[in-house]
Formats: sequence, C-alpha cells, structure tokens
Amino acid sequence: MTMTRDPEVADAAADRPPRPPSDVPAHRKRRRTPMTWLRGGGLSNLAFVAPMLVVFAVFSWGPIVQAVVMSFQKTNLVSPPVFVGIDNFVRVLSDPNLGTAVVNTLYFALLALLFGFPLPLLLAVMMSEVRRGKGLYSALAYLPVVIPPVVAVLLWKVFYNASPDGVFNTILGWVGIPPQPWLQSSATVMPSLVLEATWAAAGGAIIIYLAALIAVPPELYDAAEVDGAGIWRKIWHVTLPQLRGVLFIMLILQVIATSQVFLEPFLFTGGGPNNATLTILLLIYRYAFQNSLGGAYGEATALSLMLAIFLALLSWAYFKLTERWSTN
Amino acid sequence: MTGAPDQPLLDRPHGAAPRPRLLGLARRGRAASTDEQGDRGVLSTADRRRGSVRASMTFVHGFLFVGLVVAGLGPLLWLAKAAVTPTQDTLSQPFALWPNGVDWANLESAWNDIHIDQYFLNTIWVAAGSWFFQLLIATTAGYALSVLRPKYAPILNALVLATLFIPAVVLLVPLYLTILNPPVIGTSLLNTYWAVWLPAAANAFNILLVKRFFDGLPREVFEAAKTDGAGPFRVFWSIVLPMSKPILGVVSVFAVIAAWKDFLWPLLVLPDPAVQPLSVRLPAVQSQTELDVFLAALAISTLIPVVLFLLFQRLFLRGAGLGGAVKG
Amino acid sequence: MKSSRRIAIAGVTALAVAGALAGCTSGSGSEDGTLELRVATFPPGADQAAYDAFTEQEAQFEEANPDIDIVGVEYEWTAPTFAAQLAGGSLPDVFTVPFTDSKTLLENGQLADVTDEVEELGYADKFNPIILEEVTDADGRVFGFPRQAYANGLHYNRALFEQAGLDPDSPPTTWDEVREAAKQISEATGKAGYATMATGNTGGWQLSVQADSRGASLQTANGDGTYTSTIDDDATRATLQFLHDLRWEDDSMGATFDLDWGTINQEFAAGNVGMYTSGSDVYTALVRDFGMAPDDYGLTVIPTEDGGGVLGGGDIAVMPPNLDDATTAAAVKWIDWYYMQKLLDEDAAVADAKALSDAGQAVGTPVLPVLDQATYEESLTWIEPYVNVPLDQMAGFTEGIFEQTPIGEFKGQTQPIYALMDNLVQAVLTDENADIDALLAQVDADAQALLDQ
Repeated sequence: MTMTRDPEVADAAADRPPRPPSDVPAHRKRRRTPMTWLRGGGLSNLAFVAPMLVVFAVFSWGPIVQAVVMSFQKTNLVSPPVFVGIDNFVRVLSDPNLGTAVVNTLYFALLALLFGFPLPLLLAVMMSEVRRGKGLYSALAYLPVVIPPVVAVLLWKVFYNASPDGVFNTILGWVGIPPQPWLQSSATVMPSLVLEATWAAAGGAIIIYLAALIAVPPELYDAAEVDGAGIWRKIWHVTLPQLRGVLFIMLILQVIATSQVFLEPFLFTGGGPNNATLTILLLIYRYAFQNSLGGAYGEATALSLMLAIFLALLSWAYFKLTERWSTN
Repeated sequence: MTGAPDQPLLDRPHGAAPRPRLLGLARRGRAASTDEQGDRGVLSTADRRRGSVRASMTFVHGFLFVGLVVAGLGPLLWLAKAAVTPTQDTLSQPFALWPNGVDWANLESAWNDIHIDQYFLNTIWVAAGSWFFQLLIATTAGYALSVLRPKYAPILNALVLATLFIPAVVLLVPLYLTILNPPVIGTSLLNTYWAVWLPAAANAFNILLVKRFFDGLPREVFEAAKTDGAGPFRVFWSIVLPMSKPILGVVSVFAVIAAWKDFLWPLLVLPDPAVQPLSVRLPAVQSQTELDVFLAALAISTLIPVVLFLLFQRLFLRGAGLGGAVKG
Repeated sequence: MKSSRRIAIAGVTALAVAGALAGCTSGSGSEDGTLELRVATFPPGADQAAYDAFTEQEAQFEEANPDIDIVGVEYEWTAPTFAAQLAGGSLPDVFTVPFTDSKTLLENGQLADVTDEVEELGYADKFNPIILEEVTDADGRVFGFPRQAYANGLHYNRALFEQAGLDPDSPPTTWDEVREAAKQISEATGKAGYATMATGNTGGWQLSVQADSRGASLQTANGDGTYTSTIDDDATRATLQFLHDLRWEDDSMGATFDLDWGTINQEFAAGNVGMYTSGSDVYTALVRDFGMAPDDYGLTVIPTEDGGGVLGGGDIAVMPPNLDDATTAAAVKWIDWYYMQKLLDEDAAVADAKALSDAGQAVGTPVLPVLDQATYEESLTWIEPYVNVPLDQMAGFTEGIFEQTPIGEFKGQTQPIYALMDNLVQAVLTDENADIDALLAQVDADAQALLDQ
C-alpha cells in the first residue's frame, strides 16, 4: 500500500490529537493464526467479498465450468446426464444448418461493418465541427438508442410491410423506386435487418466518437497547420490517427456483438425465409429452447463453446495485430 | 462524524494523490454534449472564415439537421401518429394525417387490454432490482478489491476479469439450467425476478469500473478515518460511497439501460406472463392484437424512456461517452 | 375487476418471490383446510370478458365444492416455455396439451394415468374413438381427457368474393377452383386471393393440412415405436407447386409471406386475404379480437382429392404425474365440471353457452365432436337459442365435414418436423427458382434423421 502523505491531509489531521496507528506495518514477522486473521480484518473483508463471491460462483464461474462439462454430456432435464464424449460437437458440425448459420452470421457482420462502421464516424466528425446545435444533434442521434430494442424491431417490422402501401415502400414510391420485398425475400432480408440494426446502434457509437474527438489535443491541429496542412490532411493525419485506439476497440467490439446477433433475426423473421437469416445464436436457441419436449442442451453448449473459442482467438489475434500497427 | 471532512478534501487540489482518471473523463465527456465553445477541432478560425468552408458548413448543418430529424425523430413521430390512427388508414395510407379521424380509443385499449400498466410495472421492477444488486455487488466487491485488499484479492480480481473475456453466449444454457435447478435452495427460480437480478449482478465490467474509480480515491482519507477509529463498514458507507457518486451514477445508468433493453434472458426465465417485462410481452401479444392497438402499445412503451432521456439527457450522453472512454 | 386481477398477479409474484427467498416449495394446502388447485385458464392477454366468465365459473364450482380453492393460472401452450415449465415443475395442476405432444408426454411418463377416473365418471365409452386414441398408450391406459377438437377448414372472405364477382354461397370445392378464385380476387381487389401460414411451425402444419387433402401421408408408423418419414410425396410436391404457381405465376398471394396463426387471422380479418386454411374454430379470434364483420366471414371444407382427408387436431386436459391423491381427485372433479359436463349434460351446456354469450364470446363455432356424434348433435339442440355465430355462412363446412375422412397429425417429432417444413413453404413463396424436388428430398432426410434419434 502506498502511503503518499499529502500536506493538506496532514493539515486536516493536525486538528486532532495524534493516535498511534492501529495497524502496524507488516515488517515485523508474525505467525498467522485465526486470531491474527480476525484482528487484521479478515472477517469484515470476507463480509465485503461474500456477496460477489456467491453471485459469481453461482451465476458466472459455475455456469462457465458447467458449459464445458455439458458440451460433453447428453442432458435432457429428465434423466441424469450421460457422458457422450465429443458426440455433441460431431452432431453440431455435421448439422447442415451450421454452415447456413455461419455464412449468414458472417454476412450480417460484414454488412453491419460496411453500413454501420463508417457512418457514425462520419457523422461524429461532422457534428464535432459545427459550432451551434451540437447538443440538439447529439440528442437526435441518440434517440433511437433510447427506444427499447424490442420496440424498435417491432416498429420497423411495420415499416417493412412489403405491400406497395407499406411505410418504406410508400417513401420509395415518392422517388419512383418500385416496392421492395424487404423481409419477404431471401435476397433483401439480411440487408433489411442490418439497416435497422445500424439505425438502432449508430447513436451510441456517435456519442463515443464525439467524446474521443473532444479529447484530441488542439495543439496537434495547430502544429499541422503550421506545416501547411489543409482540412482533409488534418483529418487524415491528425484526427484519424488520434482516434485509432477507440476505432480499433469499437471494431472488435462490433465484430463480437454482431457474431452473437439474435434479437433482429429472432423478432423480424424467426430465421426465415427458408433459413436466410438463421444466425449462430438463433441456431443455439433452437437447439436448446425450441422443442417443447426438451432441448438438445448438449449440442447448444457445444456450439456456444465453439463460438466463444473462435471469438477469443479472433480477439487475441486482432490485439496482436493492432498492437503492431499501433507501435509502427 | 469523526473522520476527515471528505467533501472539501475532494474539491481541494491534492498534489500527490492521483486524480481519478474516470472523473476527468466524465468532465471531458460532458463538454461533448453541450454547445459550449470548447477546444478547437479540425477547422481553425481561419478555415471557418473561408467562403468555401462556410458554404460546406452550411451544407453540413443542413445535412445533419435533416438527416438526424428524419432518422432520429421521424420514426417516433410516425409512431405517435399511427398510435391514434385506425388500422385501415395506417395500412393503406401510412403517411396521411388522419384521413378518417383520430382514434383515441387505441391508447385506451392498449392500456387496458394489453395491460401495459402491469407490464410497465414489471419492467420497472426488473430494472430496479437489477440496479440494486449490480450496485451492491459492484461497490462491495470494488471496495474489497481496491481498499481492503485481503491476501486473496489478486486471485479474485483475476477470476472476475477472466469472465470479461467469455462471451455471454456460453452462459446461456448452463445459466438457464442453474435457474431451473439452483444449488442449495432447491427450488426453481423460474418466473421469479431473482432469475434476472442475480445473474445481472455478476457483472465484471461494473466491478472493474468501480474498482478503478476506488483506486483513484485519496488513500489518506481512509487512513485518517481509520485512525479515528472508523471500521471498514463505516469507511465504506460514510466515506467511500459519498465520494463515489459520479461512478455510481454511471453504473446506475448502465444497469438500468441494460435491464430495460434485455430480451432473450427474461424471455427464457420469465415464461409466466404475469411477471414479464414489456420487452418480452410486446412480441408475444403482437399476433393477438390488432395493428392500431399494438402500435399504440409500442408508442406508450417508447414514450417513457424517451421522456426520461429528454429529462436526463446529460447523464445519458455522459454515460454513453464514458462507456466508450472506458472501453478505450 | 381489472384491479383485483392486478392485485392477484402482484400477489402471485410476491408469493413466488417469498417462496424463492424462503427456499421452500409452495404446498398445495392452505391454512383454512381447503385444497388449493391451480388450474390453467386461457392464454394471457385474453380480453376482460374471458376473465369475467372464468371468475363466474370459479365461484360456481367453489360453491358446489367448498373444500376446493380454485386458482386460475394464465396458461398458453408454447414450445419454448412448455419444456421449461415441465422441467421446472411450474405447470398448473390441470393444464392442456395439444394432441401432437400428448403421445410423447405419456410415453415419457410425464402425464398422470387417469384410466380409473375416466371409468368411474362413466363416460369412457362416449368418447369419439379416433380422438380417445390420441391419449391412450400401447397398453390401453388413458392419460387425459380430450376436451376439444377441430378440423381444418377453408376460411373465405365473402365481401372479397362479391367484389371479385364470385358467389359467396358456392365457395370453391377443388384446389383448381381455389386457384381460380384467388386469381380473380387479387385481380379485382388487389388483395391477396389466397394466403398460407409459413412461420413458427405453422407453415409445416398447414402444409401437411393441404398435402393430406391431396392424399399425402407424411409419416408412416412402423408399429414398433419407430417412424418413417414420407414427406417426399407427390401430394406434398403438388401442394408446393400449387403455392409456387399462385405466388409466382398468378401473383395472387399478396406481399407478406411470414404469416403465422395470429397474423394470418389479423390479415384476413382486416380484409387483406381472400382465402386461407386453418382450424375451424378461429371465428372467435377473427371477430372478437380483430374486429372482422361477421357478415364477411365464410367457412367451407378444404377440397379433398385423390383419397385425401381433412387434418384435425385438438387438445386434452391433463395432470402432471406427481400429484397427491387429494389433489388428483380435485383435479378430476374440475376437469369433469369445467371441460366435460358442458359436452354431456344439458344444464351444464346451457349454463356454459349462456355464460359465453353473456360475456360476448362466440357460441356455436363448428368443432369436431370429442364425444360420439349422437351426443354432439343432441348438445347442439340444447344451446341453439344462444348460438351467436352466422351458422348459415358456415354451412359449407358443417354440411361437408362428416363426409370427409378425419386424419390426425403425424406423431413422430411433430413440431420439429413442422419446423423443417416451414422452410419448404417459405422457399416456394420467397424464391421463384426454388428447386422443389431437392428441397423435399432434403427435408425428408432431415426429418428421418430426427425420427432416428
């Protein structure tokens, strides 16, 4: 424990009669007994640690260990679990739906990256440059984030009404574009989901980028101007490099989040049409919870473990890579 | 109170004590959300005087205003309109303003037949409990790990941090089975709010946030209080917590928003409609509810968070910006 | 009334929380010596009239049986929650399950054996034998009370028929006529002439309805507890081709292809759909929940061709296997009183019909008799004064249904296979170039894999 003595604190303490410190620093060698443990505050330490210990043991560490165990078991809640080796993994890997789910999830992640990553950054840069109305713009941009996601999806489901009188199709009609099938066709369904997801999430990213933009030291811009840099070169050589850290983090967080996308496909389409929006998480949900007469919990945990390991490896590789880029 | 007066201490500059990093970030984050003319951005004063830049900035203003109003406010306005429009009008002329009159009865039906009031109360109950337990665990654990630091603290710290790297999906099935058949108490937690509150409390991110904040608090104050004979509980309750209002606010915002938005978990563990929050209930009643009444229900469910957001805009935006800062 | 219900819900919640806190399971006895019986009522979100009617019935029952305290529990059979409730022991003491799950449940020992109770009540031989078969195991033991059954029918919008120049009193009787009518409706009105469910397992359900009517047999029971999938069948192929042609050649199915039981009812009630197939009992949902004008409603039998039959279904009132004797006896009393007497006894039938009609609920919607046809037809005469549905607009169904061969849903892995078949329907409706043969072969193989598990 560092004991930096602040002169002002010393002042504050000076009003009171000095007292011998109750806790002698541990340079004197002592035998640890239950008594010393108790006197050293062991019991009160435990009291503060206990709630966290219980909650984490039961609802976090325990289930994580259980996930590993269960992925090697056949569990149906009725009869006791049976060890089945790698059967669950084999079953999942040979499920024709797995390929579909992986491709769909990658497609969603890719589209979300293309739509959803540059747009908030662009808006944030614009918003940070305007002098008036910044507060209004931030509030407007953040509004969609405030709407409960479930409500947003259900509302957009109405917007996506595929009849020519649907909300979006009416808007398209104003500019002479024919009605689109939106959720009703394998070709347009995924971009439709991503569009809503981007709309729902952009506000949060914008606010984060705005905070990061404020933190860019103004001296850097001054210096760049001294070097004769124009606006675009300032953005390219000062703004973006300064945001690099937050951009890297946002990117990997987005990839991790989109590879676990569930809400949109579940509520918009239930994975349809014809599995065109069946994602990995939806597949896990189907394994575990769709059958009314008991879930394939083993398969579900096996697939979640594989996804988790993949994401862990991906993040690790990503941080190794970006570390190298950052130091260059 | 015999301890050092804590409030004045914080306000005084204290040289050696490290200024809490998060506090600084919060201050900076706040600047982002206001119109205060703060530090400069990409554009210099000279840039702003140039005609082409001024024209572009006018365009940027127009683009931001129109774009953000349409995307941020548009869906809400449409929802507000549709909530009091008969189904047929919404379906055939989605943008006409009440061609056949306003149907106020929709709001009444939504409130009485879908029982929005009941589910809204459930939502608040879910959020309030999650908030309480998250704060309880985060502050006690943060205090133990940062201030009390028992011998085993590093191990606990590592165990808590480790859970940050495990995607939530791994927990889904085993946690669900834990809820069905929890250890010791021997009765299913299904359909009780404990099933939502306690897993939410096992949140490593909160503990990390709070612990980092506590790490930055001036240690002298604790020592002085201890010298005055204050026990660990007293230090926690009368000194640490009052000094930690900023971070408690942030954790509270995160906790409430997360609870408000959660869908999949309450869907699984609260199958009984009597205890379901809005996010779970709304999709379930969709197919049994006429469109106009359903849209009215969506509008009511949106109104409350939007009003809360407009009232506590600054807190929300600071929290969101801080979220990014912490991630970065 | 509403506030009392809210209090009741809050009370239940508080109890549940308290129970969890104390770490004890709630016993079934209450302080004053009465026996608490938790019974399933109706799906959540039902309207106030249904609650009022139930409260009235609850009071009547408790008056006749003062030692039993009825606690109504909102209950809805949905796939994801049922398994959890079953495993978590949070099911009511009396609940209902559809025929499709009854076989698996009783084979797993998850339902109480009620053979003796059915005998004792003396109406064992009155059940429609086809339906009783759904709740009987290989040894002839009975595990539940079939309480309602329906056959699928073809629902049509008489107003749209008229607008398209079709005669609403002579609805189509062959699938070709259905196609023709659908085309005329969509050309004349711009609405979907025909629609079919496609999501949440209902697509598979209605695909099997339509395929069975063309003579398909989707699954063969091998008699030894195993099943062979026969989805890849010419009648199934014809059904999918029919849907494909209506969608892509005639463009007579509108623009929405992700409908399920609830949303197709909504679309139909809103006048956006000319015809669709569904259970014969949806009239109440259409008129009461979605405000369809009763005059616009028409119901006829599904066209049957090539030896096809009409698929039916229904549900049974059951109990979990682990109730004590007193609770079992009370539960049987309740089932008999609440579900069965109105089918058997004139006074009960009249009282029920009166209560329903007073509460604004539909009385007289055509169903399949769970008891023998004579009892059923007699019961119809008892309630005649209370019938409030336009029976003459359902004549096509009521007159034709007894001519058709009733078929039960296939038994092996019913719901998971319906889920697979959803994809067939979605594929032909959303992909013009869907390869029906390849899709059928794939689903057939996947279904067999499920059955072989």
